[in-house]
Amino acid sequence: MHSTAYCQAVEKAAEIEVPARGRFIRVICLELERIQSHLLWLGIAGHIIGFDTVLMQAWRIREPVMWLCEKITGNRKLLGMNLVGGVRRDVPRGIHDELLEVLARVEKESTAVLAAIAGDITLKARCEKVGVISPEESIAFALLGPTARASGISIDIRVDHPYAAYPELGCEVMVEQGCDIWSRVLVRLRETLEAIRLVRDALRMMPDGPIMADMRQPIPPGRIGLSSVEAPRGETHHFVITGEEQRPYRWKARAPTFQNLQGIPVMVAGEYIADVPIGLGSMDPCFSCTERLETIDVRSGEVRTWSREELQALYRLRHGLKEPL
Amino acid sequence: MLKSKFKEARICFSNLRVTLPYPFGPGSEVAEGFRGKIDVDASRCIGCGGCANVCPSRLIRCHDEGDQTHMEFILDRCTYCGRCAEVCPEGAITMTLLFESATDDKTDLYIEQQLYMLTCKRCGRCFETENAIDRIPTRRMRKGRNYVGSSMPHGAPGEREAS
Repeated sequence: MHSTAYCQAVEKAAEIEVPARGRFIRVICLELERIQSHLLWLGIAGHIIGFDTVLMQAWRIREPVMWLCEKITGNRKLLGMNLVGGVRRDVPRGIHDELLEVLARVEKESTAVLAAIAGDITLKARCEKVGVISPEESIAFALLGPTARASGISIDIRVDHPYAAYPELGCEVMVEQGCDIWSRVLVRLRETLEAIRLVRDALRMMPDGPIMADMRQPIPPGRIGLSSVEAPRGETHHFVITGEEQRPYRWKARAPTFQNLQGIPVMVAGEYIADVPIGLGSMDPCFSCTERLETIDVRSGEVRTWSREELQALYRLRHGLKEPL
Repeated sequence: MLKSKFKEARICFSNLRVTLPYPFGPGSEVAEGFRGKIDVDASRCIGCGGCANVCPSRLIRCHDEGDQTHMEFILDRCTYCGRCAEVCPEGAITMTLLFESATDDKTDLYIEQQLYMLTCKRCGRCFETENAIDRIPTRRMRKGRNYVGSSMPHGAPGEREAS
């Protein structure tokens, strides 16, 4: 996800055209990652509410996708497929049948799991009408990704600002109106099925040709590139200024978790304590993305690490908030 | 209510046990083309420093000491991206299928090699033979002084840009 966003930002800065086959392979990798991430999240959500059958079954379904990733890219999780200008490995024709077969199995099994848990009243008691955030509040807190889509907001970078091969493939935005945790489960499961559809279409429509652009020209310094990618959790934005010696002069990544975390106080307000973990878990948080902020004063060279309290105080000062969030 | 419990039970019972007794028994095989721990063949290395140039986590250090080129691989920082193996013009770095690199001794993940090089009579820099240096597609990363030769920012070994 992040490597795609970074490479696209540099490609935009240097005006490099990625070959069509490279763009399709990028989509295949992104969507395989989305499938495994959503299934992983389903398992974790089941584990948080004490329903470990979902954890075991979701992770069992997920495992063949990981093996597939390993076969295509050489690693299970850190795919390392992207380079500025294209992708590193081709998806050979010999692997297509196996890919389609695994996808068919994942589709069948996740549909079966969805059908099984859809009528489970113990599960629904924990998920329905819990962690509610209204569409207006979602917009006010700028929630992203499946969390926003479960509140009835049709927002998806793949459709709004299409990149890679999404203009050719098209993509349906999965929106649910429930605003609760159950809607987030449904959005993610429906997105998994949509991702399977996208990988199938990408395999079918993938043209032949090179996977890397001609990279013999050096990347000019001082150019600006901005790129957005729809990660499983929401939008990822990367901003790059190219520098001397083919290295970035400045680079800023913005992950979706920090935005989504802003909605947590509203989601858990008035809920039981036992609903707080699943309320937090329902947006698939990644805390390493949000830990702290460090600023460097260019003139004096002073490095300052901002603590949580200082950041909150600054946020409140900027937005004119008096009372604690 | 009961119907969904039956459905769940059927999913569980139709897929009994899928885990392996690893590490007490054999685990599953890794796929062909797996990017595992890197292996460095010092006899093929020409000390060009291309791997040090592309390594995203900067774990390969390459610098000259007298008539030697000193190379260090600090593998505890390795992300297994395999760029070094991809750009190596001599095939000295290969990705093995090893993934069990956990250790209680950090020096297990440290490779050091010293390459005896020829020295340029005029400038005192190390190099191998002229032919070998012609084959180098990447710019050399050196401590303090950068060898400014032909530059090839993003790989494609074997090709080189006219400098």
